[in-house]
Amino acid sequence: MKTQKIAILLVFISAGTILTADDPEIPITLDAAREMGRVKSRFLSANDTSTKTKDVIPKANLSHFRNSVRPLLTKSCLACHGPDKSEGRLRVDQLNPNLLSGSDIGQWREVYNVLSNSEMPPEDEPDFALTNADRGNIVDWLSGELNKASLIRRNRKDHSSFRRLTKYEYNYALQDLLGLPYDLANKLPPEATTEDGFKNSSELLQMSAIQFETYREIGLNALKRATVTGEQPVAVTYIISMGQEMHKATGGKDDKTFDKDDAAYGKNRTRQHLFNQETGKGIHFSNGKATPAPEAAAGQTPAASPVVLVLPRSNELKIDLGRFLPDEGIMRVRIRARRSTMAADEYAALRLIFSAHTSNNANFSQVISQRDLPVTAAADNPEFIHFDIPLGDIQRNPFRKLTTTFPRRDEFLHIRNESNAHHREEPLHVLIDYIEISAPFYEHWPPQTHTAIFIESDNQADEDIYGREVLNQFLRRIWRRPVTAQEVDQFMALFATYRPEFSTFEDAMLEVLATALATPEFLYLTHRVKDHMAKGPQKLSDLEFASRLAIFLWSSIPDDELLNLAEQGNLREPDVLETQIRRMLADPRSSRFSRNFVHQWLGLDGMDSVTHVTDDSLRAAMQEEPVAFFDVVLKNNGSAMDFIHSNYAVVNERLAAHYRIPDVRGPHFRKVPTGTQTMRGGLLTGAAILTMNSDGIDSHPLKRGVWMLERFLHDPPPPPPPNVPEVDLTDPEILKMTLKERIADHRDKPACISCHSRIDPWGIAFENYDALGIFRTRIKDIPVDATSELFNKQRLAGMDGLKRFLLTDRQDQFARAMVHKMTAYALGRPLSFGDRADIDTLTAQFRTRNDRLGDLVHLIIGSESFNSN
Amino acid sequence: MDDKSMLLSRKTFLRGTGVALALPWLETFAQGNPVAETPNRFVSIYHPDGVGLPLKSDPAWEDWSWFPRGGEKDFKLSKVLDVLEPLRSDITIYSGLSHPAVRRVHGHSNADQYLTGAATGGHGAYKNSISLDQVYAAQAGEFTRHSSLVMSTNGGVGGPRGAQTQSFNRQGRPIPAMNKPKQIFDMLFVTSSKDAALRLARSKSALDLLITNARSLGRQLSRRDQETFMQYLDAVRDTEVKLAKAQKWVDTPVPEVDTQNLHLDAEPKEARLYFQTMYQLIYLAFLSDSTRVATFQLGRENGEGPHDLLSRAVGLGGAHGLTHSVKNPNGWKNLGTYNRYQAEEFGRFVQKLKDTPEPTGNGNMLDNTFAMHGSASSSFHLSRNYPIISAGGKNLGFTNGRYLKFGTGNDDNQAGAGILSDAGWRGKIENEELPLAQLFVTILQRLGVETESFAGYTGPLSRV
Repeated sequence: MKTQKIAILLVFISAGTILTADDPEIPITLDAAREMGRVKSRFLSANDTSTKTKDVIPKANLSHFRNSVRPLLTKSCLACHGPDKSEGRLRVDQLNPNLLSGSDIGQWREVYNVLSNSEMPPEDEPDFALTNADRGNIVDWLSGELNKASLIRRNRKDHSSFRRLTKYEYNYALQDLLGLPYDLANKLPPEATTEDGFKNSSELLQMSAIQFETYREIGLNALKRATVTGEQPVAVTYIISMGQEMHKATGGKDDKTFDKDDAAYGKNRTRQHLFNQETGKGIHFSNGKATPAPEAAAGQTPAASPVVLVLPRSNELKIDLGRFLPDEGIMRVRIRARRSTMAADEYAALRLIFSAHTSNNANFSQVISQRDLPVTAAADNPEFIHFDIPLGDIQRNPFRKLTTTFPRRDEFLHIRNESNAHHREEPLHVLIDYIEISAPFYEHWPPQTHTAIFIESDNQADEDIYGREVLNQFLRRIWRRPVTAQEVDQFMALFATYRPEFSTFEDAMLEVLATALATPEFLYLTHRVKDHMAKGPQKLSDLEFASRLAIFLWSSIPDDELLNLAEQGNLREPDVLETQIRRMLADPRSSRFSRNFVHQWLGLDGMDSVTHVTDDSLRAAMQEEPVAFFDVVLKNNGSAMDFIHSNYAVVNERLAAHYRIPDVRGPHFRKVPTGTQTMRGGLLTGAAILTMNSDGIDSHPLKRGVWMLERFLHDPPPPPPPNVPEVDLTDPEILKMTLKERIADHRDKPACISCHSRIDPWGIAFENYDALGIFRTRIKDIPVDATSELFNKQRLAGMDGLKRFLLTDRQDQFARAMVHKMTAYALGRPLSFGDRADIDTLTAQFRTRNDRLGDLVHLIIGSESFNSN
Repeated sequence: MDDKSMLLSRKTFLRGTGVALALPWLETFAQGNPVAETPNRFVSIYHPDGVGLPLKSDPAWEDWSWFPRGGEKDFKLSKVLDVLEPLRSDITIYSGLSHPAVRRVHGHSNADQYLTGAATGGHGAYKNSISLDQVYAAQAGEFTRHSSLVMSTNGGVGGPRGAQTQSFNRQGRPIPAMNKPKQIFDMLFVTSSKDAALRLARSKSALDLLITNARSLGRQLSRRDQETFMQYLDAVRDTEVKLAKAQKWVDTPVPEVDTQNLHLDAEPKEARLYFQTMYQLIYLAFLSDSTRVATFQLGRENGEGPHDLLSRAVGLGGAHGLTHSVKNPNGWKNLGTYNRYQAEEFGRFVQKLKDTPEPTGNGNMLDNTFAMHGSASSSFHLSRNYPIISAGGKNLGFTNGRYLKFGTGNDDNQAGAGILSDAGWRGKIENEELPLAQLFVTILQRLGVETESFAGYTGPLSRV
C-alpha cells in the first residue's frame, strides 16, 4: 500500500514538472490538480495516531516539544510572536506546551491552522521560512496533542443532542404519521439558525408557552383533517366537456368559427381555441363557466371527443366555478390531456391557479398545484392527469357566501400550460377534451388516513378495549417505542374525562390523541440514561438510534420497518444497517435530507431575501441547483471533491439558459457535461451562491469571501470589530476607484488589514461573476481583474485559479469541513473541541474512501458520536 | 388624594359619563401603584379613499386642502380639520409618511397594509404580516378579558387587497372585524359562554396528564438534558398560569353596563348614530379595561358597501364617489366636508377620553391612550403621504400640539395633489418620504413593547 502511494506521488510530481517545465504558462488540468492534491493529504499518510489513543490514558508528549518543536518555533516564529513583537497578541514562547492540562488550547489551534494551511510564516520573510519537513514535524506533533486533548474533553464532558424537533421536522413527522401531504405546521413561530446556518441545533430549539399551546392546536386540526365522521358527504362535481363547450361557444352557428383550411388558420392556431378534429372547425376560447352537475359522479371516463381545447404555451383556460366549492376537503381536478406533437426537445406541463376578483383592485391569484404535472401522452392516446388540492389551505374568495352580489362571489380555476414549445412550424400544444372537478373528493370511504388511526378491530363496540388498541398503536408510532399498559391507562383516564362532552367515541378520542401529540416524547429527541450523573458519551438504545437515523435521513420519525428492527434489536447489525441506510436513501423521503442539509449548509435561505432576481422561475432554479447537484453526487456515491470542481453541471432549461449552456430542455435537473472549461461545475459557481453574495447591483467580494470561509472551508473569520471605518463613498478619490481598488484601499487601513487580508482575496477570485452569477470578462469597458493573493502570498487567478488551489492544496481542509458540517447536521448539536478527534477520524476514513459522499453518510451513521448522546 | 376619595371620584365620574358602569375589579386598584397599574391603550381608526388635496392654484385650496399650513407649532388648520381646533394641544398631524413597499400600488388595494407595512402588492399571490395593534395586543392582552377589539363598518375579513379589517395576526392572517353594535356589546358585557368553560376544563385535564408524563420522562434523562427539558416544563407551567387567568375571566362577572343611552341597533345608514355608537363601544371597552387595544375601519376601499353610506351624516351621496367628483361644482368642498365629519367624530371620542379621569387616578384616559386616525392614500388612489392624526398619549411620552412634516420635496403637500385620474398613482415619485413603520416603532416602544423594528424597518421616528 505504502509503496503504491509513493509511486503515484512520483508519477504526478514528474507529470507536473514536465508540464510546467515545458511551458510554465500552461497549467495542468483540474483533474490532474485533483490527483496531485490528493497525494498531499495528511489524512492519507500512514502515521495517523489519532485513533489509537482511545483506550490508554493519554499523556502529553512534552519531550518531543522540547527536542524538536520548540527549536523550530524559536527559529521561525519568535521574531514576530515573541518578547520583541507580539503580532496578533500571540507569543509562542509563552504558550503552555501541555495541551492536555494547559489552558492555551485555543491559541495552539490557531497555530495549527495557520501552519497546516501554509499561511505562516509569511512567504516574503525568507529568513524565517519553514521547510516542508519542519512544518510537518510541528503540525504532526500539534495534531496528535490536540487530538489527545479533544478525547479527554469528550470523555469528561456530558454534551447532549437532546432537542426538540425543528418546525420542518415536526411538519414531516405529522405528515408521515397521518398520511397528509400538506403544510401542517405553519402556525408555529419561525426558528432561528446558528451562526453556521443550522436550524436543527440543540441549543437553539427553545420551547415557549405559545409554542406549546400551538402544538396541541395543530395536532388537533391535523387529526380532524385525517379523520371523518358520519356518512360520506355528497361531492360537488363540475364536468367540462369540450364538445359541449364548442356547442355553447358557437351557439350552433358557424359565423364565429374558423377553418383549418383557412389562410388565417396559421395565425389562429397559435391562439387558444376549441377545435373539432373531425370537421376542422375552430373557435377562440379562453374563459369557461361551469355549474355543478347535479347527478354527476366523479371518476368517469367518457369516450374521447373529437373536440379538443388547444392550449398553446403559456396560455390558460380560466373556468368560473361560481360559489359552490365546499370550504374544506380535497378538490380533485382530473384533466384528460395529450400532446399535439412528440418532439423530444419540447415539453409541456399543467399548472393550476386559483383566483377571484372581488372588486376593483381587490383581486388575487395563487398557484395552487404543488408542482407542474407533465403531459406526456401522445395525440392518439390521451391520459388523465389529476391534481388534489386541499380547499381549506388555499386563499378562497371570502365573499362566496354573501347573499348579495357585491363584492363579487365567484371563484376561478385556471389551467395553464407551462411549456418550452419553441418549434416554429408546429409548436407543441396541450390538447384537452375533458375536465372534471370534484370536491370533497375521497378515494375510499372512510379514507385510509382515518382507518390508520381508527384501526379495524373486532372490539370496536367496546370503547374501553378499542380505545386501548387505538392508543397503543398511536403512542407507539409517535413515541417511537413500545408503550406500557400503564402509560395507555393514563390516556384512557383522560378519555374517560372527555367522553361525556362528546357525542362520538372518535371526537373524544381525537382530543386525547391531540394531547399525546403535545407530549415531550413526540416533540423531542430523547435519550434515556440509567445513571443521570454519568459523564461522557452514553450509548443510544436501538430505538433511540432508529429515531436519530430517521431524523437524519428523512427529517421525520421512523417507519414501522425501522421500529420493528430496532425493537428486535437487529437494527445495528452491520448488514442490516447497511441495507436500511440504502433503503432510506432510495426512499423519496431522503430528498428532505438533501434539501434541508444543503439549504442550511450553504445558507440558501439567503435567496429568499434577494430582491434583484425578478424572474421567479430563475430564482427557483437557482435555489434548486445546489440541492440537485448534491443529490446527483450522493445518488452516484461520487466524490465530494466534485463540489470544488466537476466536469459537469446540474441544470434545468431555465438555469442552462442563464449559464448559456445550449440544448438543455425541460424543467427537471440533470447532469450536463461541461468539458474542460472551468467557469461552471461544482458548487462555488452556482448562481444562487453568487447572487446571494452580491449587493443586488454588482458582485460583493467581501460577502463572497466570508461565505467561502464560513460555509465551504469552515474557517470562519472573526466578526468585524466595533467602530470600523466604513468605505467613505462621499470621498471623490474613493469614487474614482474600481471596486477592487476600493477594497484594497479599505484593507490597507490598519484597523481592517488583519481580517480583510484573510477574506478579500477569496472573494476577488469570484470577480468574473456578476450579481446574478453570470460569467463576464469585462465590467463596462474594463477587463475584469479577478487575480488576488492570499495572506500567504499564494496567487489565485480567478475561479480557475481558486479551484486549482483548493484542489492542489486544500483538499484536506475542505474534506474536513464537509465532515464537520454533515456531522453537526446529523447530530443536531454544535460540535465542540471535544469532537475534534472524532471528526479527524471520520475525515481520515472519508478520504481513504476516495471522498465518496454516500460513504460519508454511512461513516457518520457508524461513528461513535452518532451512536451516543 | 387618598385612596378613599379616589374611589369616590371614580364613582362620580362614572355617573357623569352618561352610562352607568359597574366595575367589579375596581377595588383591587385601590392598593396598587396607580402609575404601574394604569393601562396603556392603543386605538387606530382607518378611513378609505384618502382626503382632498386640491392644487394650490385651485380656489378650493385655501379652505379644503386637508393638511395644515405653517410650521410645527404655529400651524393653521384648514376647514377640513378646524373641528379639531379645541383639541389642538392634544393632537399631532403628520405628513410625509407612507409604507415604502406599496408606494407604487393602487390605493384601493392598500387598506390591508396600513397597520402592517407588508408588501401586499397589486395582483397575484398575497401575503400579509402582523399588524401594529396585534403586536401590542400580544403583550397587553395578558391583562384583559379580550386581547383586542377589532371593528369595521363592513365586518368580517374582506378579501385580499380589499380588507374589511385592520388587524392581522402573527401569521399575517386577517382577524375578522365585528360590525354590529349589539354583537360587540354582548361580547364585551354579556356573560361569556359555557362552551369556553368546558374548553378550559378540557385543557386543564390535558395539562395535568402532560405534566405527569413529562415528569416521568424527566427522571430518565441525564442531568444536562434535564436542564434543557426544564424549558418544556416551564412552557407547560406558563400555559397553566394562562389557563388559570382565562379561568379567572370566565369566573369574573362582566362589567354591568346600562344600555339605556346606547343605540345598539344602529346601522351604517343612520350614519351619525352608528358612528357614535361604535366609538362609544370602544370607549366603554377601554373604561372597563375589557381590552387595551382597538381598531376600527370605516369601510373598505372602493366600491359599494355599508361604509359608502357614512357620508349621509353630512347629507352627501356615496363616500367613494366624493373622491371622484372633486372637479364637479363644490367637489372639493363635499369631500372636505365628509373628511371634516370624520375628524369631528374622532374629536368627540378624543374629547370623551380627555374628560374621563383615569380610573387609577393617573391623569385622564387620553393621557394613557394613543389614538390614531388615518388612511393609506393621500389623494385619489395615491399610496403616499398618508394623512395621519394622532391624539393623546401624554403619559406615554408623546408631545402634542404639533404638525410634523417628514421627508423632503413636498413641503406644501402638492405632490399628487389635484389628480383626477389613475395617472396619479402610477406617476413618478419625485419627493422623499419616510417609512411609516418607524412611527410604529416609536408607538410600540412608548406603549412598553421592547422592539427595535417593525415590518423590517429599524429604529423609531425622530422628532415624534
